[in-house]
Amino acid sequence: MSIASKAAGVEFRNVTRRYNTVAAVDDVSFTIEAGTLVTLLGPSGCGKTTTLRMIAGLEMATSGTILIGGKDVTRLPATDRNVTMVFQSYALFPHMTVADNVAYGLVVSGVRKRDAAAKAAEGLELVGLGGYGQRLPSELSGGQQQRVAVARALVLEPEVLLFDEPLSNLDAKLRRKMRDDIRELQQKLGLTSVYVTHDQEEALAVSDRIIVMNKSVIAQSGTPDELYRRPKNRFVADFIGGANLIDGELVGRSGGTATVALGRLTLSVPDPGLPAGEVLLAIRPNAIRLRPAPVGSAADNAASEGIPVTVRKATYLGSHMEYGLASEFGDLFVVDPNVSNPVPAGASALATFTGDGIAAVGR
Amino acid sequence: MKSTGNWIKSAGLGLGILAAGAVLAATAAPAKAQGTLTVLCGVQEEWCKAIAVAFEKKSGTAVAMSRKSAGEALAQIRAEAANPKTDVWWGGPGDPHLQAAEEGLTLAYESPQFKDLQPWAQSQYKQSQGRSIGIYAGALGFTYNTELLAKRKIQAPKCWADLLRPEFKEEIQIANPNASGTAYTALATLVQILGEDKAFDYLKKLNDNVNQYTKSGSAPAAAVARSETLVGVIFMHDGINQKINGFPVDVAAPCEGTGYEIGSVSIIKGSKNLDAAKAFYEFALSPEGQATGAETKQFQMPSNRKSATPPEAPNLEAIRLIDYNFQKYGTAEERKRLLSRWDAEIKSVAR
Amino acid sequence: MRPRSAIWLALGWVGFALLPWFAGGGTQPALEPPAPGPAGSALIDGLTNGRWWLLPIALPLLLALAVTALPRLRPRQPAALLAAGAFGLAWVAVQGFAIGLDGWAWGWLGSLFGPLPRGQGGYGIGAVLTVLSFLFLMTSGFAGLGFMKGDRFTAGAIGLVLAAIAAFVFLPVGYVLSGAGDTGDGGFSLVALAGRIAAPDIWRLSCLTEAKACGVVWNSVFLAVLTGIATTLLGLAFALVAVRTGFRAKKLLRLLTVLPIITPPFVISLAVILLFGRNGTVTLALSDWFGIPVSRWIYGLPGVLLTQTLAFTPISFLVMIGVVQGIGPSLEEAAQTLRASRWVTFRTVTWPLMRPGVANAFLISFIESLADFGNPLILGGNLEVLSTKIYFAVVGAQNDPGRAAALGIILLCLCLGAFWVQRQWLGKKSYATVGGKGDNGIPSELPRGIRIAAYATALPWAAFTFILYGLILFGGFTENWGRNNSLTLRHYLAAFDLSWGPGGLIWSGRAWGSLFTTIEVAALSAPLTAAVGLLTAYLLVRQQFKGRGAFEFLTMLSFAIPGTVIGISYILAFNQPPIELTGTVTILIICFVFRNMPVSIRAGVAAMSQIDRSLDECSLTLGAGSVQTIRRVILPLLRPAIVASLVYSFVRAITSISAVIFLVSPKYELATAYIVGRVEQGDFGLAIAYSSALIVLMSIVIALIQFAVGERRIGRRTATSATLQEKPV
Repeated sequence: MSIASKAAGVEFRNVTRRYNTVAAVDDVSFTIEAGTLVTLLGPSGCGKTTTLRMIAGLEMATSGTILIGGKDVTRLPATDRNVTMVFQSYALFPHMTVADNVAYGLVVSGVRKRDAAAKAAEGLELVGLGGYGQRLPSELSGGQQQRVAVARALVLEPEVLLFDEPLSNLDAKLRRKMRDDIRELQQKLGLTSVYVTHDQEEALAVSDRIIVMNKSVIAQSGTPDELYRRPKNRFVADFIGGANLIDGELVGRSGGTATVALGRLTLSVPDPGLPAGEVLLAIRPNAIRLRPAPVGSAADNAASEGIPVTVRKATYLGSHMEYGLASEFGDLFVVDPNVSNPVPAGASALATFTGDGIAAVGR
Repeated sequence: MKSTGNWIKSAGLGLGILAAGAVLAATAAPAKAQGTLTVLCGVQEEWCKAIAVAFEKKSGTAVAMSRKSAGEALAQIRAEAANPKTDVWWGGPGDPHLQAAEEGLTLAYESPQFKDLQPWAQSQYKQSQGRSIGIYAGALGFTYNTELLAKRKIQAPKCWADLLRPEFKEEIQIANPNASGTAYTALATLVQILGEDKAFDYLKKLNDNVNQYTKSGSAPAAAVARSETLVGVIFMHDGINQKINGFPVDVAAPCEGTGYEIGSVSIIKGSKNLDAAKAFYEFALSPEGQATGAETKQFQMPSNRKSATPPEAPNLEAIRLIDYNFQKYGTAEERKRLLSRWDAEIKSVAR
Repeated sequence: MRPRSAIWLALGWVGFALLPWFAGGGTQPALEPPAPGPAGSALIDGLTNGRWWLLPIALPLLLALAVTALPRLRPRQPAALLAAGAFGLAWVAVQGFAIGLDGWAWGWLGSLFGPLPRGQGGYGIGAVLTVLSFLFLMTSGFAGLGFMKGDRFTAGAIGLVLAAIAAFVFLPVGYVLSGAGDTGDGGFSLVALAGRIAAPDIWRLSCLTEAKACGVVWNSVFLAVLTGIATTLLGLAFALVAVRTGFRAKKLLRLLTVLPIITPPFVISLAVILLFGRNGTVTLALSDWFGIPVSRWIYGLPGVLLTQTLAFTPISFLVMIGVVQGIGPSLEEAAQTLRASRWVTFRTVTWPLMRPGVANAFLISFIESLADFGNPLILGGNLEVLSTKIYFAVVGAQNDPGRAAALGIILLCLCLGAFWVQRQWLGKKSYATVGGKGDNGIPSELPRGIRIAAYATALPWAAFTFILYGLILFGGFTENWGRNNSLTLRHYLAAFDLSWGPGGLIWSGRAWGSLFTTIEVAALSAPLTAAVGLLTAYLLVRQQFKGRGAFEFLTMLSFAIPGTVIGISYILAFNQPPIELTGTVTILIICFVFRNMPVSIRAGVAAMSQIDRSLDECSLTLGAGSVQTIRRVILPLLRPAIVASLVYSFVRAITSISAVIFLVSPKYELATAYIVGRVEQGDFGLAIAYSSALIVLMSIVIALIQFAVGERRIGRRTATSATLQEKPV
């Protein structure tokens, strides 16, 4: 006996969840491929947790259809769905030992006690807690409790494994380690996982795909790379990776790229599929480089290469510099890997743009 | 199907609920009334038990006896009117029996022993149109704590007027007539002796000497026995009972005359054991049945002239009984009027 | 359709076609020929015996069968089950109420359809089964349509609780309260209602301005507020001493606080009279030693307050201890690390977390005090309160059920008001302290001031209780308590004598019969009460559904009404078909279950709101159904609440008197009714002996319950054990 995967895909078709008149999730559709880890990302109250709970069956959709493994489960209660969940609070049963906690799902599903215990031990081994079975949850550290919660969800070999902000109660170092462990387990076992978080770094690190939600609807979904490099709207651009947002003008499109004017400067960006006219430029902090302000005739020339800025703040961080700049287009935040020749605060400089890391979105 | 294991257990729970329901339904089948005579009993529990046993021995009919105060019994009979579960109401003051008769809750029945009964017992029969009859009488009187009286060197009360003496200030207990039939009898008695206005003047003065209007008619007897108060106004047999129990009490009948209650028996209309009910009724009127009272230390005056009067019983001949007008003071209307007046003039000034 | 619904459908058919529809023969009109065959099911009776109105019950059963058996109709199944169940329930109810023992019960139907060939009796086992079947088919339909998160168990449980409350609280209370507007000739008028409710002797405030008695409402409210405050403080003090101090004799303390609850109320009153009455031991001693004049202060508000506080403190303690135990120690530790002193921690963290317990304890004591009947009856003196007033309006010389009903409505409104105030005070804050994360803090010691206050409150009270009980136990062995204190066993022999006869053992003592009935009723009703109460608490705390607030109020209804009124209402409602229960032991059990359920609900709600919701959600996602979740996760964490409700309902079934005085039938006499009879007779010896025996019996049962249910184990360390062992990894 070993813990295997029965991964299945998840599909939402026009799902809406209303509380009285307020829609927590509004006409949402998406597909999650079997064996992938998809993150629901968004600020508090965006509907991501409600979406997750609808997959679990802890909330019922007001309208629309939910399929798991191609089967309609819209009206199926949580008990009868083959979906397990790791809760933000871990929800370890305080009156049971760790082993009993992990074996719980097996025992209630009618697995023989001995088999359940064996499998629970295996599950604990898998999360690196072999030998902790006889303790009570209160006798474990936060990270250990978290692992128990994961083991408990794993041993049922769910079609879908859900994580509701599983790392939010851990310290930063532990969080990084746990998220890597979760990702590793998921890939090793080929699990379908849905992961809710509001931490975009965490989302980028663990996900095959990310569904960004805002105000009850999907803002954008795609791979981490797509979302980072080609945000479709201001919200996504801002929420993921923290872009500088400044006004520009789309002047032409051809062959998958578009040309955008920023003052006298023109930049090439991936084609956003917008008509010519005013757009918003989302510029990643690492897509800007600083060089000392040119003087004399070079200054005229420079206007077509970059924009003049004043350095308001320069912070040395070892691996890179962080700058706060003031420009005629607004304030900019820059991460520059060049630490050998930093530009001091108060100096004037020229900001240039690398080709990558700039996207145009609608205003 | 990971829930297949579950539903078996859940079905087990369902069956559990079902079994509970089944038990409920099975026990819900009312105890078959046939064969067992159900009697509500208005006297002390020993007497209830004694007469039930005696009747069972004599007739072979099983008796289920339940003790209820007069008000409780009437309320129960009234609530059950659509589908009576009770056959006989035995004992307790005559007033509520009359009320039940007035409301048509009880059945008219003529006994061959009618001619053997005391006149007061026959009068209960006439006033109720044959629906109720007297089985014993108890006179209203005083009970007092002899120890306390001796300690304070106070003369025992002999007359209604004595109760107004200043040395009895806050030393008298009497029940609230709104709650107790005993106290209503006292109220009606005073009205009949003194006339209504004078009676209320008397009660207003008495109010200064009353420390408590109890809710139960026999409570003052218990309070006197436990030295909680000096004097109580009660039915005399309640006081005698305390005396027999070894308390330093004695009883007295008021010199101006006093009222009395007629303990009565009625057959419930709609009784499903009518023959047995009639047999019990006859037994309750017979000397044999009435002897069960004295056997259990109950010292009311039996209604059958052939019955032996217990020596401890207050001798009704020696007591000045007034010609108590049950007809007038038993009606709901008069009762309500007097009680409202008592409420307005006495109760509202009580502390 | 899932198997469970299929089982219920099958049972519905069994109930309709095979089992006897009507209850036993007692109510069959004598003239009627008995139903053919031993079965007498609705189907047979309807076809062969002229009771055609029973046949339409088959329609919804056929509909349910069709959607279950034919795969073609599957998608429509939930809606069809819902319709079938609802129609079935409605039909069974309407025909039951419309057709009584002698034909049409509602006259206008008779004039419309002409007379019926025969009447019918009360529901029997067949009808009960069919009704349950319809109920669960209906709720299953609701769940199938996505209500209650599709959880059939939850839907079924809500349906069951609602149906039971409708039948055993609503129906009887409705009967009585509709009497408040009774015009005397069977009519109903709002003017009569308003007149009765606004009567001046109810609302009079004259005690403030002159030396007259106040209105009965003010008396009741004043008394109830004082009792509520006193019992809550005492309960809190005891709970703190028991849980949060190193007090050595905790076990003894807990026993002492539980003693008054297992005592029939009038026994406490008697003991109090014997201590503080005008001839009482204490009174005389004070008079002899200090010259304090003898008075009757005990009769009236002080005496009732004293006995009520003695009687209700244990309930308050039972509610409070669960809450005090449930407070997560790390929350307090957190506060202390935030530089809060012990006192500030107590004030800002511990106390606010105890608020649900405090509010519940106060609410229960307040309502108990309003509804208490025995103590004001014996010790009230001239103090009039609503409960005694209602009792005497029903059974007293004036005999005015309309007035009783009006007072009943006022009493209800007071309870409703208290309930509302409690909700306002608690607000919508979360009080979850047993979270899914283990809590490895150590309960902090109480701040010094609080500790001293708790000791100073709890210990004298415990001593007082101890003396009182010593007296009671002693009294059972005296010849004539208060008069002749020579020792004797004769009262015990009179009550519990055993002898050997030709047929073996003879229970010749006078108390045996009522004792056996009492134990039977209490033993049957306690687990039912706890089950129904905790299930309801679970629904209230854990399930979101429309009308939850109203539902919660309904569950409190039977508690708020004095027992006497409940007794009368049960006779009115259940003496004739369709639900005929009077004279059975069932009506006693049902009465106790629904009367004591609110305490069980309160204890459950208070404890359950401390258990984090994610625990049950997690269990659900792990494949456990609601039933398993309740059994394996919630119940083990609810042990204090379970103990509280089992103990309370068992004890109340033994000690309460007012609710059942009308329901006690000659065949099923209860201990308290018997004891009251002895007290009336002045036979205190036997009454006290019997009461002492009951107290001992109940102590044993409580110990057994505590042992069987056990403590909850959630791995928190107590202050003592933590100092002994190393902190684990």
